[in-house]
Amino acid sequence: MMEFIGANMAPIMFISLIVFLLFGYSVAFSLGACGLFFGVIGVEMGLMPQTLLQALPLRIFGIMQNDTLLAIPFFTFMGLILERSGMAEDLLDTIGQLFGPIRGGLAIAVILVGAMLAATTGVVAASVISMGLISLPIMLRYGYDRRLASGVIAASGTLAQIIPPSLVLIILADQLGRSVGDLYKGAFIPGFVLTGLYLLYVVIVSVLRPEWAPALPPEARTIREDSGAAGLRSLGVLMVVSVACAIVFAKTRPDNTPTDELIVVSMCVGVGIAFLLSVVNKMLKLGLLSRMAERVTFVLIPPLALIFLVLGTIFLGVATPTEGGAMGATGALVMAFARRRMDMKLMRQAMDSTMKLSCFVLFILIGSTVFSLSFQAVDGPIWVEHLLTSLPGGQLGFLIVVNILIFLLAFFLDFFELSFIVIPLIGPVAEKLGIDLVWFGVLLAVNMQTSFMHPPFGFALFYLRSVAPMNDYDDKITRKRVAKVTTGQIYWGAVPFVIIQIIMVGLIIAFPKLVSSGLGKEPTVDVDKAFQQMQTAPRQSTGGDPAPAPGSGASGAQPAAPDSQGKSDDDAMKSLLEGFKRDADKKP
Amino acid sequence: MATLLQLSRLIDRMSELIGKSVAWLVLAAVLISALNAAVRKAFNTSSNAYLEIQWYLFAAVFLLAAGYTMLRQEHVKIDVISGRFTKRTQVWIDIIGLAFFVLPLVYTVIHLSLPLAIRSYVMNEYSSNAGGLIRWPVFALLPLGFLLLGIQAISELIKRIAFLKGLVPDPTQKPQGKTAEEELADFLKQKEVAARDEAALRAKP
Repeated sequence: MMEFIGANMAPIMFISLIVFLLFGYSVAFSLGACGLFFGVIGVEMGLMPQTLLQALPLRIFGIMQNDTLLAIPFFTFMGLILERSGMAEDLLDTIGQLFGPIRGGLAIAVILVGAMLAATTGVVAASVISMGLISLPIMLRYGYDRRLASGVIAASGTLAQIIPPSLVLIILADQLGRSVGDLYKGAFIPGFVLTGLYLLYVVIVSVLRPEWAPALPPEARTIREDSGAAGLRSLGVLMVVSVACAIVFAKTRPDNTPTDELIVVSMCVGVGIAFLLSVVNKMLKLGLLSRMAERVTFVLIPPLALIFLVLGTIFLGVATPTEGGAMGATGALVMAFARRRMDMKLMRQAMDSTMKLSCFVLFILIGSTVFSLSFQAVDGPIWVEHLLTSLPGGQLGFLIVVNILIFLLAFFLDFFELSFIVIPLIGPVAEKLGIDLVWFGVLLAVNMQTSFMHPPFGFALFYLRSVAPMNDYDDKITRKRVAKVTTGQIYWGAVPFVIIQIIMVGLIIAFPKLVSSGLGKEPTVDVDKAFQQMQTAPRQSTGGDPAPAPGSGASGAQPAAPDSQGKSDDDAMKSLLEGFKRDADKKP
Repeated sequence: MATLLQLSRLIDRMSELIGKSVAWLVLAAVLISALNAAVRKAFNTSSNAYLEIQWYLFAAVFLLAAGYTMLRQEHVKIDVISGRFTKRTQVWIDIIGLAFFVLPLVYTVIHLSLPLAIRSYVMNEYSSNAGGLIRWPVFALLPLGFLLLGIQAISELIKRIAFLKGLVPDPTQKPQGKTAEEELADFLKQKEVAARDEAALRAKP
């Protein structure tokens, strides 16, 4: 009996973990307790060294020193301040009025604003609540299909998970031992493609089922000229002018400017021109621009400025993601002050929520560190590796199994739990199989996005339910009776978007180039971490190779293999050289 | 039991106070980090002390808030199964969790980390980075944070046992009544939605 336990410690521990978690006490402490329990048993049975747990404080100090995780409170705080600043509501209102009078226009506006909010606030709950309160009543008023309306809102809210700066990418980067900046860059194009797929779905629906997504009557526009005209012509002219300026500016840049820098800077110039023209027009009372053109420019400026402040500086390599988060949070504070939305209550609340979130997230990490300490001592990672590498189909087989696993687990676990419990187990296996971890991280992030949309536990659906009308009500504007939104409608509305999500996962696997990977990065050696790993390594491994410590992201100490993608053998060298050139350009 | 409940209330007040104070460190960390980034770019200088104080503050935030977060029931659970149980069973689960999951972990971490903090204090250890900060305060945060967590766990334990005896109302209810999301929704309804409805009504021909 004892021999059986001794020989099968890893699977026993893994199954116990599931039991501990399903028991229903806090995840952080269940993880820790499971690790501790087996640590003590292991030491008693002589399976683990006496000094096993001595490494624990050092591991936790490693978590405390982790600069990457510092970005979590910064981005959380930024989102919490922004959600009260009125930015989301102004955007929804204005863009909704802009697109409303075309068929499916309101849904399109919701998706576009959702993507823009994702790039700024990045809080799924806030986006869904704002859209549920501002856009949903308008969609219901003019007869949108309820499933379509609620599905679009829930799905657009979850874009915050994949479009940088998202928390899940920060945590995945930490757990996979890659840089947050690389994951942000990698997730950018998939984020846009996904937004495009949502838009495509709405367009297809509004062609096939026009009655599901009717156009708004022209009188629904409150922003219009005194003559009653929509004022779209001057908006068009303004847009053409600013795009032209951006393109001209881009052409004058030296040829060797990196593409991401070119895009960021040119966009800034274009937006700046539009803003300048609007301000001049307003100050001098020229009356050249319509109200719509002015409104659109002024509501777009704050989010675009924030996007530049945060993502622009990160992509240009001017700021680290942590610094970007801090600057974004400061920017959000300034904006809230400028709009007179800042008061003591809001400040306290934002700090309080940020603190609680940081605390529970970091304690899950501490718990999973305790677990992985014992799990490594029983060669658990090797067991998982054998299990996963013995799958038929090599890389592809592994990817399919892992994605199905994550998809199913996402019904019950949210992304924090998935990232801290599952990723440390499968990350090292993926690396052994020669999978680029930046690409792998983005793939998993798209997959985990579904955890917000799965009925019946998906958070986005839950928040939408909390703000969608529970009873029939009389619409204030049309004075007509509007039926309530049923929970079933919200659940069914999410299904097409979960399918789109699966399609996106398939697209990323089929076309790995969608994720611009961080190839060609110089291997950075973090001396502090390497030293710490040297200190702890002999204690944690009993035979077998010293596995990288998943809990502390210490694998950052290993030089990243320049060509880890396998598939892109041909141009790996080319992109490597380009990468070096780009990095050299960026050095001050 | 009455004495214990009094103790529990005292602990709750202490955690509340600590939580409310530690929250300000979030703002401090944000401002210091943003300032540091701006100064680094503008004048191309930086000091390790500024970089280190950021993670000192962050560590202080999440460790010292552990007790407060437990008081607010914010350590997330997987309640797929336990959500179907009766209230009493759920409270029993909490009691087992607090007594056999939290407290042993708290004991282990304090037992292992306290000697390190004391050694660092006695040796007057400094960060190995040039211009780095003194090390013992951040080492001391670990046992201190877990101590606060353990104290709060005892308070939670008392409340749950008292509930099973029928002495106090349900302790698993979140104390502040409204969640942050509900408050956001209320705020938006009052300010944003009302303003927009009014605009739409006025524009109506």
